[in-house]
Amino acid sequence: MKRTLSLIIFIVFLFNSIYSHAEKNQTLPKLTKPFPAVDFSLQGEDGNTYRLSSYRGQVVVMNFWATWCPPCRDEMPAMENLWQKVKGKGVVVLGINVGENADIIFEFTGQYPVSFPLPMDIDGKVIESYPVRGLPTTYVVDPSGMVTHRAVGSRDWDGDEILKQLMQLRKVR
Amino acid sequence: MFYKTSPQLFISILLLLASYFICHVTLAATVTTGIDEQAKLPYWELKDQGMVLRLVQRLPIQSRAFFLARGFNKQQAERIAQSCVFQTVFKNISDEGSQPGPLSYNLRDWKVVINGKQKGLKVREDWMKEWQAEKVTKPVQLAFEWALYPTQQAYKAGDYNWGMSVFNLKPSSKFDLTVIWTQFGNKHKETIKNMECAADINPQPEEQL
Repeated sequence: MKRTLSLIIFIVFLFNSIYSHAEKNQTLPKLTKPFPAVDFSLQGEDGNTYRLSSYRGQVVVMNFWATWCPPCRDEMPAMENLWQKVKGKGVVVLGINVGENADIIFEFTGQYPVSFPLPMDIDGKVIESYPVRGLPTTYVVDPSGMVTHRAVGSRDWDGDEILKQLMQLRKVR
Repeated sequence: MFYKTSPQLFISILLLLASYFICHVTLAATVTTGIDEQAKLPYWELKDQGMVLRLVQRLPIQSRAFFLARGFNKQQAERIAQSCVFQTVFKNISDEGSQPGPLSYNLRDWKVVINGKQKGLKVREDWMKEWQAEKVTKPVQLAFEWALYPTQQAYKAGDYNWGMSVFNLKPSSKFDLTVIWTQFGNKHKETIKNMECAADINPQPEEQL
């Protein structure tokens, strides 16, 4: 009886340990030191102008990307799914393209259809004003205008955990 | 001794210790090599507790085409293509374990060992000096900067980058790479042996199959 119990404890412990190494719970890492978002005004691929400060009071998911960057491309469908879930609910998605023009982005959106705004940082001035070191990098700006979270590399943007985090951030004023 | 009076308790302790070692000792650094499924080219992968680094060969013809398309002239694209470029993905995978921890690195700390001599990687900042001296236009510099792997980075659990790292060696060169990073409060150092730069070949369609 005791031997059986020992064996059960061993198996449970082993599975628990292995599972804890395999489990992947994607969340947005919090910044140790949140900082005020640097405002910008950029023309979008659609011809509209997008100013960050005009979204004050909402949560902004600000994704820096380029068409030639594979992980940037990989996360676009999930980002579009996120946009479909949060549109009109106090969360905004901005896909800031770095260094490319409207023709290149237009061609890209033929393969990866997205409906959220794609402001163009053609001369790289906006990305230089943020501490970005690689693409894609995504910042989350809370309703008070503070950058509170950062994700380096692609994420499952339409996952429940990330959605929950973003919806909770709406309460910050 | 207690194992004589209470063998069941002794066996329980042994089993618990065994499971601890299975789950933790097997997480020691490992290097694997093979053919990357997507690129269909050789890769070298270093995996340790909380991190994984994969370096995949890039053919000179791929780098040449990529940088010509970004606006570099033929000589500049050729210079990059002939410098041993690897597709690089460095991930903080500590979110997959029970102990998430930040990871940081500086490519300037990494060492390339070839024929017994040590040298460093050619990083973004080294290249940018050349492009500025050659008056390469800003959009072209911008594309280059973001295509190259970040020289320094700090990853939280789940973070990673994807980019090109340049080893500044001739095509087909063989070398060892010493990788240094900090995680869980400790500096880690591992060497990937017998890496090889891609050959300067122009594969025909039938060779790629």
